[in-house]
Amino acid sequence: MERTEFKSHISAQYNRNLEDLFNQVLEMGGLVEDQLSNTIEAIKCENKSLAKEVKQLDKIVNKEEMEIDHLCARVLARQQPTASDLRLIVSAIRIAVDLERIGDEVVNASKLAIKMAKVQDIPCDTLPGFKSLMEMINIDFEMLKKVLTSFAQLDLAGLSDAVDDEQHVTEIKNKALAEIQTSLNNTEELAEYIMQMIYSIRAAERISAHIVNIAESIVYLVKGRDVRNMNSEKLSDFLEKENQE
Amino acid sequence: MSEKNLSISLDREDRVMSLENEKIAIQVKDWNLYYGKKQALNNITMDVPEHRVTAFIGPSGCGKSTLLRCFNRMNDLIDIVKVDGEMTLHGDDMYAKNMDVASLRRRVGMVFQKPNPFPKSIYENVCYGLRLQGITDKNTLDESVEWALKGAGLWDEVKDRLDENALGMSGGQQQRLCIARAIAIKPEVLLLDEPTSALDPISTLAIEELIFELKKDFTILIVTHNMQQAARVSDYTAFMYMGDLIEYTDTDSLFTNPQVKRTEDYITGRYG
Repeated sequence: MERTEFKSHISAQYNRNLEDLFNQVLEMGGLVEDQLSNTIEAIKCENKSLAKEVKQLDKIVNKEEMEIDHLCARVLARQQPTASDLRLIVSAIRIAVDLERIGDEVVNASKLAIKMAKVQDIPCDTLPGFKSLMEMINIDFEMLKKVLTSFAQLDLAGLSDAVDDEQHVTEIKNKALAEIQTSLNNTEELAEYIMQMIYSIRAAERISAHIVNIAESIVYLVKGRDVRNMNSEKLSDFLEKENQE
Repeated sequence: MSEKNLSISLDREDRVMSLENEKIAIQVKDWNLYYGKKQALNNITMDVPEHRVTAFIGPSGCGKSTLLRCFNRMNDLIDIVKVDGEMTLHGDDMYAKNMDVASLRRRVGMVFQKPNPFPKSIYENVCYGLRLQGITDKNTLDESVEWALKGAGLWDEVKDRLDENALGMSGGQQQRLCIARAIAIKPEVLLLDEPTSALDPISTLAIEELIFELKKDFTILIVTHNMQQAARVSDYTAFMYMGDLIEYTDTDSLFTNPQVKRTEDYITGRYG
């Protein structure tokens, strides 16, 4: 499937609407990417203002979701899309929902920076789980880039990586939580911060799950197959086969 | 607890329609039709399911109306038309030498693009076919007229003026009267050739709702230029192009995930 197909309708107005929709989803994805990269910096440097920027960006992300919804509703009402056009609408609505949730989770993750900025004597990187969290958010960032590229090019090639990455993120999360558990006995005074660390780790894990949802929406758009009932192993196999063809 | 012991079953009925699970009313095999030397239908093979609505879509001149007219041998009326292939209705060869065309048309009714009631009373329009069959008993005729008008969703509107001339009705009412006239003789199959293209949107919706009701009793085949209409009313859709049957599958699949690019280009309104 090629992007140009969505520009080859007899109705130029229809072409414009679908192109706008593509661009708006990518724009929203770009904002969430910014949120993620800001969060990485914010937590690393305990940068409170950067973390607040993440929250500010989230407001724009929420607005983007509404705009995408409205555009989809308008196309549905006025142009009665079918086939791949219809699948684009369904996927765009779903992807926008997932991007909006990712935005929320990024805000949750970035709260660690705000909390740690308040206490000068406890460096964030001394908290148990810090390394894992940074690794998770970095993977999330790379995953998101891959699925957005895949959406922009209507190409499933990057998606199997994203599905594997999610598994990896879950493994890191489990490892991090185990590390935190063993450290709990002798770090009572850090409990408050460790709690936030757990929330952030959980948020980073949720982000990867939402990115896989986006990958599933892209499969639906490009292939017309609903793969949501597949576990990650089956999904990986499916994508591998598709990419070989 | 293993999944087996859970009281909630994970097996859910597959709601996707499939021709494989249908009883077949009409079978078409290797069907060709020629207008003189020009071939208009190329090797059409398809099964039309019973008690379902099957829609034919495609650009003008693709052969959809020509194919529809084959199902009650309307093309016999055109001298230059030649056909070959097999076409059976519930197993009976529709083009057999000994097939009585009038009796075939009793089994396969048809409604056309423009409402064409006879310049007679509403009552006489509906019982016209029954009278042709030699039925004269007043009670039988009354019952049939009421049944057909109710079936066509027209009874409440006309029951007090059955003696009035049918040409005084609105276009939508006239078309429903034509449907009543077609179903009065209880055919097995109902062919609808662009039945709403001359009607306003509200009358169109009334006819579409009627089609949905009628499929309980009849097998319905509809030709329409309005793709959204095909998507709304039909269970199966056949896309035709230049005399070929390009894609024929359940309507949900055809309109959400067509397998042939030409189908996709047509239903999405793209330059093919």
